[in-house]
Amino acid sequence: MSEVILKAESLSKTYSLNKRKIPALSNVNLKVNKGEFVAIMGPSGSGKTTLLNVLGCLDKPTGGKVILDEVDIANLPESELCKIRRNKIGFVFQTFNLLPYLSAVENVEIPMENTKKPKSERRKRARELLVLVGLAGREEHRPQRLSAGEQQRVAIARALANDPAIILADEPTGNLDTKNKYEIVRLLARLNIDRGTTVVMITHDSQVASHSERMLLLQDGKITKEKQGLHLAKKKLACPYCGSRIQPSDERCPNCRKNL
Amino acid sequence: MANQSSTQSLVENFDDRITEMQEEINQTSTLIECQTASGGYAFSGGPPSGADFTPGEPPSGDFPMIGIRQETFMNETTVNEISSIEGIKDVIPFFEASSSENTTSTISGPGGRTFTISRPLYTISGVSLNASLIDTYQTPPTNITAGRNLAEGDSQVLVMSQNLTDYFGVDIGDQVQINGESFTIVGICDQAGEVQAEARTVYMDISDAQRVTDNIGNMSSLDIYAQDISYVDGIAEAIEVTYSDLRVTTYNDRLSQLQDMQTSYEETLTNAESTLSQTQAIATQEIIVAVAATSLIILFVMLYTVRERTKEIGTLKAIGFSNWNVMSQFMLEGVLLSLIAGVAGIAIGSIGAPFLSGLLLPSLNSFGSSGRFQSNSQYGYQPTDSGLLRAGVAAAVPTAQLMLLGLAVAVLLGALGSLYPAWRASRTRPAEAMRYE
Repeated sequence: MSEVILKAESLSKTYSLNKRKIPALSNVNLKVNKGEFVAIMGPSGSGKTTLLNVLGCLDKPTGGKVILDEVDIANLPESELCKIRRNKIGFVFQTFNLLPYLSAVENVEIPMENTKKPKSERRKRARELLVLVGLAGREEHRPQRLSAGEQQRVAIARALANDPAIILADEPTGNLDTKNKYEIVRLLARLNIDRGTTVVMITHDSQVASHSERMLLLQDGKITKEKQGLHLAKKKLACPYCGSRIQPSDERCPNCRKNL
Repeated sequence: MANQSSTQSLVENFDDRITEMQEEINQTSTLIECQTASGGYAFSGGPPSGADFTPGEPPSGDFPMIGIRQETFMNETTVNEISSIEGIKDVIPFFEASSSENTTSTISGPGGRTFTISRPLYTISGVSLNASLIDTYQTPPTNITAGRNLAEGDSQVLVMSQNLTDYFGVDIGDQVQINGESFTIVGICDQAGEVQAEARTVYMDISDAQRVTDNIGNMSSLDIYAQDISYVDGIAEAIEVTYSDLRVTTYNDRLSQLQDMQTSYEETLTNAESTLSQTQAIATQEIIVAVAATSLIILFVMLYTVRERTKEIGTLKAIGFSNWNVMSQFMLEGVLLSLIAGVAGIAIGSIGAPFLSGLLLPSLNSFGSSGRFQSNSQYGYQPTDSGLLRAGVAAAVPTAQLMLLGLAVAVLLGALGSLYPAWRASRTRPAEAMRYE
């Protein structure tokens, strides 16, 4: 039995709007194992982002428990939550959320700013991570000089900065064109296969979701369906164009010969 | 601050002189001074005609001023008639005339003004060398610093003031030419202690003085001593009735003159002080308004910044910034912003303050350069004597202390103004902030 890294138990979240209670999440139970790649799917307003925010301690649940790396984070004070966000969680956002006045490498360094790592080591690690996400040579570029896909790569490198237990990605491909969409999801899949990084990804795109191991369907604040991912079930990647199996290190699809 | 202490010392000096003069006047209660129309210098001059002088604005440029000594005399008959008035104890004649040589000096004032003053180089002073008069009334000059004083029977000799020996480069025993006649210097006297520090005088026997200036038998002034104080008013009246062109000054006149002078001095001082305190009051109000406005501006700018960067704050918190990290970041930004503004403000102030005070201060400087004191040669205050003039200009230049204070206030206001916005930023809930566009 593999180790559970993230667990939600009868999680609920209710928003109050003009004294009316609007339930966003009701009685959500889920488990994410270490090294797993989970996709959460669902239509708009189904509570996907709320769930991710609660799991990532950006928001507090109204009821239930969130256990991350054996710690119940649902009711921790803000001072503890910020440490957990810094050290245990890496966030990837739909709109990248890079700081426009900092270079790529500086953006990757930010999460390490409040750690004890010396400056030189932070810079070194940031450069390594940028190489890892395929941005060698682009380290000094500011976000506005990078393409959308490249910006999301910087954001992924930033999420990896403090070597988190889990990466929470909220619609990471939502603002990208088809080519970049697959590149980014394949990058996440590669990180998952090669480095064993646990990834929880929200998406409404079933093509993107199919890159995961396990897909959860969220509807009206409840998990209604769970199914195996098409391609990652056996730690294998599939070509986004023809669907045939590929290796993580492949640069071209062995079947259709398209660049990956 | 420098301003106040200068004013203070000026006031003290003046008070000392008033006391001194009061004593002098008291000691000479029986003295009636009798002068021809004017014994003093009259300065005339002003801004050059047709120059760039606009009413209401401080004039600048050169002010040529000519010092003219009014040389009118009384003749021997007059002197004899006055001497025969009842109740007179002694009559001491004096003769004074200007040298034919002139000297020009330049004094610079505020706002680039310069005063060029042209006046006779020295005064020829003839004193009575009658032995009994010398004994009783000290007619020859006082403060002999070298050589001897004038004595009865002296002729073709003179005592010269230190200023003048320095000017000519001569010493005791040297021969000097006065209006073409040769005189020997027998003594040097020091006039440095006197109000008119730059006075240059040669003292000689009265008949020598009359002769070299072509004024045989003429007198400039008489010091008349009454037998006792009860005769004073009668004598003064008798002279005034007969000789309306003579100026008669008695103990009471001198006393009231002194009081007038004191009053007008105090008035001027009060005016200057009230102008100063009004200016300070306005400045204080302005400072309060400026401080309040600055704090509010910083507050709103920082609030706007926080609002504008809500998403960034959310991101920073999502990737592990603590409340304190966010708060200190925004505080630092506010402080830095106001520090830069402070430096800029000091730079503008350093350049602008002397310029602005140049426009403002003439109203205060009128105290220092007022003709009221200057034209009175006896108690004359030259513009250069005025500490206020220099102090006023000096006070307008920001000191290092003031600059540091300004910077400190800027930093404090920056911190104060950004406190609330920074606090608000730090309280932002990340999930909400991320939704903010």
